[in-house]
Amino acid sequence: MIDLGLSKDAIGIIGCVALMVLVFLGVRVYVAAAIVGILGIVPLIGWDAGAGLVGTIPHSKSVNYTLSVLPLFILIGYLAFHAGMTQALFDAAKKWLGWLPGGLAIATIFAVAGFSAVSGAATAAAAVFARVAIPEMLKAGYDRRMAAGVTASGATLDSLIPPSAIMVVYAIIVEASIGKLLIAGFIPGLISALCYCLIVIVWSKWNPAVGRPITGFTWRERFASLPGTLPVILVVIIIFASMLFGWATPTEAGALGAFVVFIAALLNRMKLKQLNDALLETAKLTVMIFAIIWGILIFVRFLGFAGVPEHFSEWVVSLPAPPWAIMLGILFVYLVLGCFMDGIGMLLLTLPVFYPAVIKLGYDPIWFGIVVVKMTGVCLLTPPIGLSCFVVAAVRRDIPLADVFRGTLPFVLADFLAIGIFMVWPELITWLPDQMIR
Amino acid sequence: MAGANTADPTAGSGGGMLGALDRGVHRIEKLTALLSGFGVFALMLIGVAQVLSRKFINWPIYGYIDIVEIMMSFLVFMGLAYTERLGGHIRMELILTFLPKRLVNLFEVISVLVGLFVVGVLTYYTWTHALRSYTSGDSTMDAQIVLWPSKLIVSLSLALLFIRLLIALWGYGRLLLSPGAVPYGVPELIDVEEQARRDAAAADDLVMDSPETQR
Repeated sequence: MIDLGLSKDAIGIIGCVALMVLVFLGVRVYVAAAIVGILGIVPLIGWDAGAGLVGTIPHSKSVNYTLSVLPLFILIGYLAFHAGMTQALFDAAKKWLGWLPGGLAIATIFAVAGFSAVSGAATAAAAVFARVAIPEMLKAGYDRRMAAGVTASGATLDSLIPPSAIMVVYAIIVEASIGKLLIAGFIPGLISALCYCLIVIVWSKWNPAVGRPITGFTWRERFASLPGTLPVILVVIIIFASMLFGWATPTEAGALGAFVVFIAALLNRMKLKQLNDALLETAKLTVMIFAIIWGILIFVRFLGFAGVPEHFSEWVVSLPAPPWAIMLGILFVYLVLGCFMDGIGMLLLTLPVFYPAVIKLGYDPIWFGIVVVKMTGVCLLTPPIGLSCFVVAAVRRDIPLADVFRGTLPFVLADFLAIGIFMVWPELITWLPDQMIR
Repeated sequence: MAGANTADPTAGSGGGMLGALDRGVHRIEKLTALLSGFGVFALMLIGVAQVLSRKFINWPIYGYIDIVEIMMSFLVFMGLAYTERLGGHIRMELILTFLPKRLVNLFEVISVLVGLFVVGVLTYYTWTHALRSYTSGDSTMDAQIVLWPSKLIVSLSLALLFIRLLIALWGYGRLLLSPGAVPYGVPELIDVEEQARRDAAAADDLVMDSPETQR
């Protein structure tokens, strides 16, 4: 024991502040978390015991069967780019949904959401659909702000719909059931999409010139458009059904999903060089996510020794405010943090402290998971670093960034509406996972 | 984040000893990352085999979970240095992109020094962890696969990352002393607009590549 004459609470708070300072200075999150963890544990239990303990964490926390679903979901994502289904998704969505007011925009929401769900990369999906869908919308006389807005925001639905890597990350950090979270995201994902559609419909009813319906497709054409979308539908169904009926573990479902997309990519004549690049990217993202997971878990071990989560949650519960008001406060913190950092980093940095408090307030772990994951989507749309909007503006040089942000604003409001719905009717999130067999 | 983001940052020549060292180490890094990527691919194949064989001939792969767990260690650690070189580890760039160059380089040096401390401590203590596993001969529950190689790879990957960070220290230290110099051996710092431009370019490539859109 090194005695600095500090109480455990003081060491804990110093640690949290130090972590934030290091992160703001641009230190990589996993390094910042690990150094605070190491330097925090040592005064509490001594150098040899502390450093020895820390040395076991990277291996023991990463090498776990349940976590092996993560690299497979990432692989699905990178292979999806070579499966050539973006145009097919948009065509199918257009033929089935084009007759609605603002039909092409609604079609874009579902097509980009489907693609980004499978590819797992919201910003990349936004970039692809800015090329595929926006030109068609503009040709049909759609308002460019609406066209840009649906593309940027539709892409952020990926985090809710399975396969979702960020959902798995949440499950790992709070030790919740990966399977339950994966199914739980489905209905909220759909509700979010419907909220977006509502915006489009109201917008085009109010001013029909911004988005005219696209009609004239026969049922034959509609059904003929479906086979091209098969890889997306199959992947979502495989993972969803495997979890719901207990047919396979998340890892096995992830492997099957990856295999389906791999076959689709082969049929689409993926080249060996492209497979090579996809595997390199998979390795890079896998390593990145796991580094931050074990880095944060070193920090979490320190927080545990210092008793921070316990004391923080006692403090939160003692606040003279109803739980829903505290929850709104927490969501507001995420909204602000989301303006400065990306989703995964934000979740991992905050959950160790926030999560125990949220549970102590009586919220459901699965419910909270869906809501914070939804917040990570919102933070891709808010200035100053809403990457999804930047990407759309970068692809479409003719649409200024300010217009993209303006066009996205109504959809951010739709996100708030969705979150409000989840707060009022939490069963919308918790009902489906409760139906899981097992 | 996605797309063809794998361009070799060390391509070309120049940079003297630093450049040569950077390229040499990157060759090893790229190999380890590629092995890790192929490992994920193998994980997929084994998973498919497991499901099919369990469902249709009711004969699950012996020690499937143990095999996956051993593989995991290789998959999630081998690419550590590669990811560092490509600037792939999450950090908050926002503030750095607003600061003057000299201050940025100072922060980068501090950042790398912090990294060297953490990675150094972890390399040593994960090594002793692997050593204990080797001497005690512990193995997995079902298939009795020895565990020490999967623990050793953690330490070896961290050691390679340590070397990578030493090169970065040289690279940033050099930039700190002469801010106008051409950077070598360090990942680029890019702001959100540049990031968006690259994502857009990657999407262009993908949409062009895809036969369906060539019609």
